[in-house]
Amino acid sequence: MEEKKQEIKKKKKSGGIVGFVRDFTYGMATHGMARHALKQRSSMEHLFILITMGDMLGIPILPPYYSLRLLPHVVPQITTWKRRMLREKDLMDSMY
Amino acid sequence: MALVDFFQQYPNRRYLMYGGKGGLGKTTFSAATAYYLAKKGKKVLVFSVDPQASLSDIFERDIFGKGNVEIMENLFACEVDADTRIQAYQEEIRQKIISMYGMKKIPEEIEDYIRASSAEPAMEESAIFDAVVDIVVKGDFDYYIYDLVPLGHALYYLSMASIYDAWLEKITNLREQMKEYDKAIATMKREEDTEQDEVYNELMYIKERIGNSSKIMTDTEKTAFFFVLTPEEMTIVDTEKAAQLFARYKVPLSGYIVNRVINRELLKDNIPTYLKNRIEMQVGALEMIDKTFGSSVLSAVPEFDSEIKGLDVIRDLAEVMFEEKLS
Repeated sequence: MEEKKQEIKKKKKSGGIVGFVRDFTYGMATHGMARHALKQRSSMEHLFILITMGDMLGIPILPPYYSLRLLPHVVPQITTWKRRMLREKDLMDSMY
Repeated sequence: MALVDFFQQYPNRRYLMYGGKGGLGKTTFSAATAYYLAKKGKKVLVFSVDPQASLSDIFERDIFGKGNVEIMENLFACEVDADTRIQAYQEEIRQKIISMYGMKKIPEEIEDYIRASSAEPAMEESAIFDAVVDIVVKGDFDYYIYDLVPLGHALYYLSMASIYDAWLEKITNLREQMKEYDKAIATMKREEDTEQDEVYNELMYIKERIGNSSKIMTDTEKTAFFFVLTPEEMTIVDTEKAAQLFARYKVPLSGYIVNRVINRELLKDNIPTYLKNRIEMQVGALEMIDKTFGSSVLSAVPEFDSEIKGLDVIRDLAEVMFEEKLS
């Protein structure tokens, strides 16, 4: 059992054909899924900022005192979030 | 039951609060109770978060924003400066952002948001109740006497606490879902598991703070909430309404104290009609109080002929309130 695990680990580490096959299968099978999940994750992030920092867009959010504590953690996302929330919808949206 | 008996019967009730309309004597009673308990050898902190706090006036000492100030043996008083506290808190957030991202300056939009937050309606109440948690959690005192801001604020905060709870519940759930996605993505990309979610930890912290602050007001084991009223019909009606509201938020109402009762004996003397009428009005109102609150009335305190200020007068008042001679 232990040996097998070791072997798998070795295989994983080794590049070459095995690595290529692994990346290839990842590209074929899971890349789309991962991309989708990432997209979902980022919408959630935006939703999260909306319900904690909505004040920034003029949407009143109830408790400002404690939401201020969360502010430092979302600082890097604020700009993209604002852009996304405030942009007009257009045809191109369906492509993203 | 008398007020003295209350403290003997419920020694665990360490958080005391006097509530009532403005100007009826909440601060006065807070000070007198603190005086009494301190004389009995208990270590007492009486504190106020009202920006127009009057503890400084009643103790004739400037204690605003100075932390716990010793007034006499065992008796400490504290007036929290909410504004300064909010400013310090905002500064703390700024520093955190700067150190987290190695910024030289806070981005303008973030700075605007921080600055605007102090104008938010619930900001001050939240800051106040957060300050109360800080004071009480330390647990250095036997008794904490909380000179409440007028009733409206307390009720507002209690209702806010339940909204806070619902809000937290929602965002915590969302955060957990996000974590699931993070994990899934990590597995798909064959990366190491994702790091700790700081935001989630913050949420848990906030939850705990809010829980603590509303618990101070609603703890049936440790809290006693007294209503102050005067023998006037309007006050009685208002107090009754407020009591019902407080009961709805599960505040442990422990009794009523009547303030400013004019000595009825005066009627025998030759007194001006004005005074006579007032006494008669009070007689009617006192009957009404008896009918409405009955045995929950713990003490009736006479109208004093001087303003209650300074430790000597506070002692006089405490002696009447607790029906006991204090040296």
